[in-house]
Amino acid sequence: MITRLRTILVMLAAAWVAIATPAAAQPVNSGNVEGELHSARAAISPGETFTIALRTRINDGWHTYWRNPGDSGEPTELTWSAPTGYQIGALQWPAPEPAPFAGIINYGYHGEVLYPIEVRAPANARVGERVTFTAAAYWLVCSDICIPEEATLTLTLPVEAQGRDDPAWAPRIAAAIAALPRREAGVEARVTAGTPVRLSVTIPNMGEVRNPHFFPFSRDVMAHSEPQAPRVGEAGLSFTIPPGVARDLGSAPLEGVITFEQRESGAWARRALEIAAAPGEAPAGVDAAAASFSADYPLAELEGASAPPVAAPPMDAAALIAALGLAFLAGLVLNVMPCVLPVLSVKALAFAHGAQTGQARRHGLLYLAGVMAAFLPLAGVLIALRAGGEALGWGFHLQAPWVISGLALLFFSIGLNLLGVFEIGGGLQNAGGALASRGGDAGAFFTGVLAVVAATPCTAPFMGGAVGAVLTQDAGTTLLIFAALGLGFAAPLTLLHFAPALQRFIPKPGPWMEKVKHVLAFPMLVTAALLVWVLSEQAGSAGVLALLVLAVALAFALMVARWGRVWLAAGVVILVVAGAFVWRPLAGVETQQVLAHEPWSAARVAELRSEGRPVFVNFTAAWCATCKVNEGAALSSARVAAAFTQANVAYLQGDWTNRDDAIAAALAEHGRAGVPLYLFYPTDGRAPIVLPQLLSERLIIETISGAAS
Amino acid sequence: MTKLSKRGLILGGAALATAVFAGGALLNSAPAEAAVQTGAAAPAFSVRDASGATRTLAEFSGRTVVLEWTNHGCPYVRKHYDAGAMQALQRDAIGNGVVWLQVISSAPGEQGYLDGAGVRERLAADNAAPSATLLDPTGVMGRAYGARTTPHMYIINPQGRIVYQGAIDDRPSARPSTLEGATNYVRSALADLEAGRPVAVSDTTPYGCTVKYAD
Repeated sequence: MITRLRTILVMLAAAWVAIATPAAAQPVNSGNVEGELHSARAAISPGETFTIALRTRINDGWHTYWRNPGDSGEPTELTWSAPTGYQIGALQWPAPEPAPFAGIINYGYHGEVLYPIEVRAPANARVGERVTFTAAAYWLVCSDICIPEEATLTLTLPVEAQGRDDPAWAPRIAAAIAALPRREAGVEARVTAGTPVRLSVTIPNMGEVRNPHFFPFSRDVMAHSEPQAPRVGEAGLSFTIPPGVARDLGSAPLEGVITFEQRESGAWARRALEIAAAPGEAPAGVDAAAASFSADYPLAELEGASAPPVAAPPMDAAALIAALGLAFLAGLVLNVMPCVLPVLSVKALAFAHGAQTGQARRHGLLYLAGVMAAFLPLAGVLIALRAGGEALGWGFHLQAPWVISGLALLFFSIGLNLLGVFEIGGGLQNAGGALASRGGDAGAFFTGVLAVVAATPCTAPFMGGAVGAVLTQDAGTTLLIFAALGLGFAAPLTLLHFAPALQRFIPKPGPWMEKVKHVLAFPMLVTAALLVWVLSEQAGSAGVLALLVLAVALAFALMVARWGRVWLAAGVVILVVAGAFVWRPLAGVETQQVLAHEPWSAARVAELRSEGRPVFVNFTAAWCATCKVNEGAALSSARVAAAFTQANVAYLQGDWTNRDDAIAAALAEHGRAGVPLYLFYPTDGRAPIVLPQLLSERLIIETISGAAS
Repeated sequence: MTKLSKRGLILGGAALATAVFAGGALLNSAPAEAAVQTGAAAPAFSVRDASGATRTLAEFSGRTVVLEWTNHGCPYVRKHYDAGAMQALQRDAIGNGVVWLQVISSAPGEQGYLDGAGVRERLAADNAAPSATLLDPTGVMGRAYGARTTPHMYIINPQGRIVYQGAIDDRPSARPSTLEGATNYVRSALADLEAGRPVAVSDTTPYGCTVKYAD
């Protein structure tokens, strides 16, 4: 009833507009959006196809939505009342912009937007008449709150024997059409099943590209608010597609729009392409390096959180000063390390008492030079390593699970080292000792070098932090931080050479230094614990277990190392074996199931079989090691995923982590008291095939294809 | 300054500096917002309701619980309340022994924020009758569940597992006319649970306004 009334009102309004306004159209303001219809043609001729456009001007700070609005919102809608015989096409959507807000991401527009719409006039349109198009427009417009707004828009055009362009709007509408995302020759898209699912797009004339993003047409196919970790190569782009609620991601075609900026003769130009990705292998040359993002790109922060660009934005001045201050402080602290203080005390006494003032000052400066000479090459090595890594295409992604795991193991072993479980660098210290014991200028210089070398077992904690801080920084920052560390380290003894009176403030070496060392172990262990927590967010319980197993194996290897080579070899073997079993969740690519699965129930099996689909059932549990090995290896393989897809196999999982009588009954039915149990139900209604407890890729594929043929 | 205190100072300072320096590497890695998987245990919560009483998930153990994230100023919420649809669903569910909890995660000053008195007024105005309205102005509960929109619906079975999460129905629009002919996912899921069937549609993409969380 209300709808009908509104239609009548719309008609009346249209009629009134048609009579009262000789001009084509008028803007209508619905509150936060001004809408208007425009035509590329000032007059139309019978039978022609022409373009009109919906133009919306959105108030500052507000946005409207693309055809897929993203996590929330709703697309703009037009409901037409067209004159008889006129065919009006759909709204054509310009490339959307991502709009992150409080942890969710919407796709939409702000400012002025032109949506082209194709219209075909009937061949029997009467020359000389004026036709009026009326659209009931509905748009949801949001800032921090959302308001649904409506407007009735009209456009009146004369029909003439010869159509003619509107001089003002024809070029603007033509430009809007040219900017629409469209399919282009040479742009091939593939969606590749796996964990994560990746979308790859080849782009001819790739060149330099930044800020890439994929916008799916479907709301359900993927999670909109998660990072896409885009990567670039010389042949195109690739994206991670985080799964949404749809279950066929990776096996069904994926459609949408990709946008990116491309450098054209020095300036960045935005491009948008429509793609339809078929399931299949990713093409080569689309994932050589992580994509880069400009500072003003709305998703830079989101994407930075998952895959920071290889060159992190340089530290701002305040952060740099803070980092340098901390490095200086850390250098100072190194002086009281048990491996350093005894050496320094002896030297300090010798220099302070035995030398005249001038000579003491020179020795002080030489000592400083010695320290710096030892520290700066370390920075050089780090810079070289980083450059080497980049050349090989490795990014130092501090948030990659394997990097986090590596850092956790590093801090854990530093903690063990400080607790005295093992020691490093003994041989080096002895070699340096001979040089440092020489007197005079050379002795002063080599005392500096030796102090750094001697400090190795104690510097590791600070180096770990420094390396973490500089890994993503440029070479200049790296050098500065290491220089500050060196200055802090050299400062006390250098000062002492200039003012021997300060000596009474130097604490005497003694067993208390061991306490310092032991206490310092705990910040290291806390750091390791925090890293484990970060990893748990990234790689889940499987990742944490893998890391803890590695940590235990590492601790064993480190502890037995001092008992001799045989023990060391045994420790290393254990570490390698442990690593071979557990590395997958930490590699950052195998943190989830590759195959989409749904929960098992006997009813669901029966239902799927009645649909004529083969069914693979995996009875598993979080505490079942064999299950996890199978799921991490054979069941994660891309070829198995492809075989499942090809044979249209439904994958059901029965999770027996917690007690479940239905699953227990199903296990008993196949003579098992526990998991894993793998069943394959062929399509012909035969009894299920029971697969062995240890799966291989070949076995699964042969079972599926053997049953199918 | 005695020797002992000097050493103590050095010890403490050294530990602090090390912790700060080593921790610096971690500063960039913020934890991801947790979202719960359907089938997993529902996150426990302990929040005040409109009457000031502390409510926990544990107290509803053994019963089916519906969580409804709401914001009375949101047009999508209004669509369901102004037509009386949400209230009818609440009454039907509660009549069948289901616990229905509204959750307000709007921060103070944001759209949808209400205190206890405000909630009572709003319920009376809407003639709504949830079992309780939970006030989550800090957003802790909302973030634990990964609630993104209003409405965003969750159903927890008597064993404490999430059996449905997502939209209220299959018409992602604020227009009242879209209520007609819509499939209400919560109603169907509750019917499945009542009949002892597994929930047929257990994951949908929620729609509505964003939850107005505190920053």
